[in-house]
Amino acid sequence: MKVLLTGATSGIGFETLKQLVNNGCFVYAIGRDFSKIELFLKENRSSIETYEFDLAIVDNIENIFSKLDLDNGKLDAMIHCAGIEETTPLIQSTPEKLDHMFNINVFSGIELLRSFSKKKYCNDGASVVFLSSVMGILGQPGKIGYCASKAAVLGVVKSSALELARRKIRVNAVLPGIVNTPMTKLLFESINESQIDKIKEMHPLGFGEVEDVVPTILFLISDKARWITGQSFVIDGGYSVH
Amino acid sequence: MDKKSFILKLQNDLELETEINETSILKDLDEWDSMTEMVLIGLVNEEFSVRLNHDDIEKISTVDSLIEIIGFDKFD
Repeated sequence: MKVLLTGATSGIGFETLKQLVNNGCFVYAIGRDFSKIELFLKENRSSIETYEFDLAIVDNIENIFSKLDLDNGKLDAMIHCAGIEETTPLIQSTPEKLDHMFNINVFSGIELLRSFSKKKYCNDGASVVFLSSVMGILGQPGKIGYCASKAAVLGVVKSSALELARRKIRVNAVLPGIVNTPMTKLLFESINESQIDKIKEMHPLGFGEVEDVVPTILFLISDKARWITGQSFVIDGGYSVH
Repeated sequence: MDKKSFILKLQNDLELETEINETSILKDLDEWDSMTEMVLIGLVNEEFSVRLNHDDIEKISTVDSLIEIIGFDKFD
């Protein structure tokens, strides 16, 4: 299976890369700084092709596809993990900041999908997974841009699932809650222990690990999920049940 | 940014109804709550590229103490 993966160098994206390679997939990995995972890349050179690219430059995304070496077959799946998380209260949520957030969390995903779904790049029956967030269906103070962008991803998923169904291309979203990643480490540094405990208490199964999210992603790109499209899968240790 | 402009920006962004100066105790302000903390973290990050963590917030008392935490060298 040939998979295009974004955000491949850290957090859920890197764990996805590891598990894809372990499952025998060939991965076209997009990231900004591959030096972070140099050792892993060295050990798995035959299964990964890397493309250093900043997805904030949405206009250049189509160029990535023209560079892919697809001589041995077209893409079977795309997993879009790249994204940013920011705590910005309403008063500081300027159009410029929201633009940046939407560029990376929403517009880059649409542009990736627009290129990926062309007949010359992906096979009929291909599968796409977008990383949204449980914040895409819930709210939190200071997260207007983030929540809005992750909710927008769900709209993209539903609409494109309908549009691409005629070629049996499936599009789904995974909505993780708080998992231990470099991104959440930064979040916890700015709040005190009692606040962290309070957030933890709201997760009946505690905070998650990246390994808790990736199996669902792999399931969704597999043939076992061939009748699933346009759906959102919440993986949050029970957080959203409250 | 000079100290005076920073205090004005602080007053404006935190939407404080009373005037503040270097000796004002931030946590005694009627407006101080977890949202105010969040706005303050955002403001300091944006203006000075300094990320206040929980320990920094704990240490803040007066406006001057906030300026000290940000770093005197960051002000004109």
